[in-house]
Amino acid sequence: MKRKRPIQALNEKARAIQSLAEGEDKSVTALQDGPPPMPVGCTTIFDTGWETNPRPTYPVGNCMASARDFHGCAGDCWWPAQVPDGLTNHEDFDKQCPNVVRDWRLLKFD
Amino acid sequence: MNIKMTSLLLIATVFVGMNTQTALAKDIFYYIGYGMVQVVDGDTDAIVADIPVDGWLRASQFSADKKFLYVLAKRHLIHKIDLAKNQVVSTIDVNGGGWDRFMYGFELGADGKSAFVTILARSTKNGEAVVAAPILAQIDLERGHILRSIEVPWGSATLVSVKNASSIYVVGKDIVKVDVSGEEMKVIGTYPMFEKQWNILPFWSYTAENGGVFMANYYTPELMGLVSIDTNTGEITDMPLDGPPVFAYSVIRSPDKKKAYAVMDELTVIDLETRSYGPIVPIPEGTCYAINVSSDGKKIYVSGGGSTTTVFAAESLKPIKVLQMETDGMDFKRLTF
Repeated sequence: MKRKRPIQALNEKARAIQSLAEGEDKSVTALQDGPPPMPVGCTTIFDTGWETNPRPTYPVGNCMASARDFHGCAGDCWWPAQVPDGLTNHEDFDKQCPNVVRDWRLLKFD
Repeated sequence: MNIKMTSLLLIATVFVGMNTQTALAKDIFYYIGYGMVQVVDGDTDAIVADIPVDGWLRASQFSADKKFLYVLAKRHLIHKIDLAKNQVVSTIDVNGGGWDRFMYGFELGADGKSAFVTILARSTKNGEAVVAAPILAQIDLERGHILRSIEVPWGSATLVSVKNASSIYVVGKDIVKVDVSGEEMKVIGTYPMFEKQWNILPFWSYTAENGGVFMANYYTPELMGLVSIDTNTGEITDMPLDGPPVFAYSVIRSPDKKKAYAVMDELTVIDLETRSYGPIVPIPEGTCYAINVSSDGKKIYVSGGGSTTTVFAAESLKPIKVLQMETDGMDFKRLTF
């Protein structure tokens, strides 16, 4: 006898979890495959790697100091895993910390 | 009085007039910050006013009469700042009807009562996320309502108003030209960039400071170039630069049109006549997003990113003053009277 499912997946995320349990289909899609799934709420344009500075000599790497780039990345959600996401979850983050070098101790986002 | 004497007097009068005009030119700079716009006097390079504003600020534009500054906040608010009172006098929110809308790019309409923005919108339906196609929209500045719209490509970021706002150029992966003069907006052409492997971050627009020329830097795997849009004629010009690329967020032209200045970790001089790089000087305070120049061409301002504005002497490229701003910043715009 087939066992009845105790819960039913109602939305895409739940169905994705269910499909994981049953044997995963393709769950990752390259951004260059085109919309969807261009992620609204994250980077809005196309310049990935702008700051992966390929200079052979100093300064190699990102902005100097990285704190000077913090708000620019946070507001528009360029790096949502690394900085507060200003478009969805932390819209008013800048009120806590309008000047990163001066105010970073006031950070409270989780 | 003979003709020769009359001519000399006329020439003298013209010169006196020119000098008077030069002497009267007054630069005011606006630092586009976080929860605040700060006003910097271009004569003394001192902060003379703070304007509290809700939200993190992005694109901005002065009204044609130079009385107001419109500034986008949190990608869904448009604040109107009265520059005589130095205060926000109205705010509109383009969110509504169950949609979150994010605005990228801002250009005032010819009527002064509406504006063009690119919008990415999202909502939910039956528990699922719904993301609408990006649009170029004309919105009513009184209430924030969308008056009309047209679909534009993904990645549309910055707008350039051309020929007295009869056309809007949408700068993204390519430059899409949209005729907005009729009842319906129509795409009338595309200037290709993506196929040429251009990579561009055109968020800093100094069209007014450049005398009506929008200019942004782009990168190919080999070089940096400058792409310009003459807003009077609509002509698009590509200027690849000789030599290994420097790194820059934004560029601005010198008032004599012979040079351009670029900024990121360094201040870079670009010779527009030879299409080559000139001196490159580090910015002691660190990375800056924004650049501007005094209307007489004697001072260069690098600003934003972090909470400083550094003033360089244009001739020596030596820093002459560092302003500690109240907040971090995104842009530094000039208004000249």
